[in-house]
Amino acid sequence: MNAQVEQALEILKSGDARAFDRALESLQAAVYSFGMRFCGNREDAEDTAQETLLRLARQLKNFPDARALAVWLYKVAKTQCLMSRRQSKFAPAQMLSLEALMPPQHEPAGAPGKSWEVTPEEIALRREFRDHLEQAILSLPKPYRLVLILRDMEELETREVAEVMGISEETTKMRLHRARVYVRNALAKYMPGATPRFSFRTAHGRRPRGAPSGSITS
Amino acid sequence: MRDPRCKKIFAALSAYLDSELPEPSCRELQRHLQGCKPCITYLESLKTTIQACRRHPISKAPRPSPRVRAALLKALGR
Repeated sequence: MNAQVEQALEILKSGDARAFDRALESLQAAVYSFGMRFCGNREDAEDTAQETLLRLARQLKNFPDARALAVWLYKVAKTQCLMSRRQSKFAPAQMLSLEALMPPQHEPAGAPGKSWEVTPEEIALRREFRDHLEQAILSLPKPYRLVLILRDMEELETREVAEVMGISEETTKMRLHRARVYVRNALAKYMPGATPRFSFRTAHGRRPRGAPSGSITS
Repeated sequence: MRDPRCKKIFAALSAYLDSELPEPSCRELQRHLQGCKPCITYLESLKTTIQACRRHPISKAPRPSPRVRAALLKALGR
């Protein structure tokens, strides 16, 4: 579970008056950030945070522990995001086929100058890279986007993601892998020398609207 | 990467990186990686992608609204 969320909920449940505002701000930051990652705009993220925390006030005493409450909180935030007024215009509704996401047969291995070998710190600092990452995530179909955000950004465990999504752990793992591969392939465009060509076709053989172009030249 | 063995490995890369692959499959994948540079390269790029997601900074949030603060204080009996 996201440690920041769980800790803030523990503080609220404990009734510690001195730590109340700190815990509230921490929760606001976490839910707002989740909303930004999923919806991609401030207005929907603010609505998500407001509505989720108002509902939290009504449920605070009804959960035995902070972890169960955190799972519930993510379920509510997810629902709020799905109901948001300003849906991403990029996200396709199609399912992703792993076959279509696979690299082609003759992808050169270890192309000279490939820049996947950047350090995580460098990644975090590159504003342009972050923008491309955000766009790639926003162009994922919603079921895949949610799983990727919950697992790789909110850092929930697989079983917790499955619980929030109401799906099996196997389906969670399948969606997570396809989402990661999709984002990786989208980012490859901005990693000179890393990838010659990838196909972004859906199970129906169409490229999702707004998805990265199907031909990437190294 | 269209070799049937690579296809099988490709489907398991995330589970491998998350340490969620059963032991026999994990050993099989590691054996394959020893002799397949395209799969090693792809695995590394996938790992970098996951790290980029994990290190993606959280957005600066506005302060909680007075309505939310009041509702939570009321729920706590204050």
